[in-house]
Amino acid sequence: MLRYEPGKSIAHRLDPRSKLLVQGGFAAAAFAYTTPRGLVILTLLALCVLALSRTAPHRVLWEFRFVFPFLLAAPVLEGISLDGFVISDATSPALASYRVLLVLLVAGAYIRTTSVRDSRAAIQRSVPGRPGQFLGMGVGFVFRFLPVLRADIGRIRDGYRSRLGTERSVPVRMRILLIASLNRAFERADRFSLALRARCFSWNPTLPTLRFSRIDVPAIGFGLVLFLAAVYGFV
Amino acid sequence: MSNSTTTDVDLVGDEVTLNIARAALFAALMGAFAYVAFPYPLSPAPVTLQVLGVFLAGLFLGPVWGAAAMVLYLVAGAIGAPVFSGGSAGIGVLLGPTGGYLFSYPLAALIAGVIAHRGIGIRSLTEASVTRLIASMTLAVAVIYGVGVPFMWWNLDMTLQTAIVTGAVVFIPAEAAKMAAAIGIIRSDAIRAE
Repeated sequence: MLRYEPGKSIAHRLDPRSKLLVQGGFAAAAFAYTTPRGLVILTLLALCVLALSRTAPHRVLWEFRFVFPFLLAAPVLEGISLDGFVISDATSPALASYRVLLVLLVAGAYIRTTSVRDSRAAIQRSVPGRPGQFLGMGVGFVFRFLPVLRADIGRIRDGYRSRLGTERSVPVRMRILLIASLNRAFERADRFSLALRARCFSWNPTLPTLRFSRIDVPAIGFGLVLFLAAVYGFV
Repeated sequence: MSNSTTTDVDLVGDEVTLNIARAALFAALMGAFAYVAFPYPLSPAPVTLQVLGVFLAGLFLGPVWGAAAMVLYLVAGAIGAPVFSGGSAGIGVLLGPTGGYLFSYPLAALIAGVIAHRGIGIRSLTEASVTRLIASMTLAVAVIYGVGVPFMWWNLDMTLQTAIVTGAVVFIPAEAAKMAAAIGIIRSDAIRAE
């Protein structure tokens, strides 16, 4: 699975905020220049980003395989007509699908090179006040509890499988799974909030220090150029 | 290290702490639901419990915290928690063809909550009639598809007709089954959240 892996690549050493800027700029540029020529240039840029983060493109593609049916369906369904396959009708959806693929590749590079703590600090420093603090702490909790709740659901499913629960209808199975998993999640939330209060849960815990370094300058420049190019392309 | 003193510590109130914990756990549960797919005879696509999670967030956490839970879910997914369909993550998913459905979740949870609780505050769900619950969920589904389908239409540059077929018609039969399951749960008083 694609997730953060510690490393020494250039992308690992960048500040998370400059990486978010590059991602945003790249996506904006991809939506502004959905032409064959634009996409060739963006493909080269995406491959550069992956190389700088030492991320293999096929790993990212495999991670996002669930989107492929949607990406393929658009050009195929548009192209099919009573007279056979009309390539001109399928062209623009195909370009749009390819553009999504490029955005996914760049997003994959961010995920592999940025730790949760850094992302949290970046959110909390970018979104001011209580909303930023809520997002920062909440996102940390989601990362913490996702594996726990997945294990809970796994145990619930094992339980009903061993009691031949799989013979029942889909709505009944959904209901059993939902009741059990919601009850466990709410019990965990109650215990977790008690534990948080016992540990003086505060709005302003100490965050890891984020500091822009020299290598962030070209990254921020790259992100800004992409944004400007996108604005220019739309106007 | 900065030398902070205890007077700098801004404690989170007890009720807010519980709500933050619940919202975060609910967001994580939404992520865990992404891995559970049920084969459903009437629908060509596998049915996940995620849309059901959106209704239930509005109903059990109330409109405000339900919507907050959905925002947490989206932000956590955007920065890399494997919470989107099939365990994927990243800003790319939000900007991909299914991004519109995801963006609509906070709004849909808010609307489901406002209708079921008759306002922004939280009331006991046992007071809400079945008609009200069905109305709240139907509107939430309308919001999810109302945002999701045009987004896919724009995102993939397809005709509106194709977008409606691939983005909505194939999923609609399963939504009815999910609503039935949700009402069954709320009416049975099986959840010990209140």
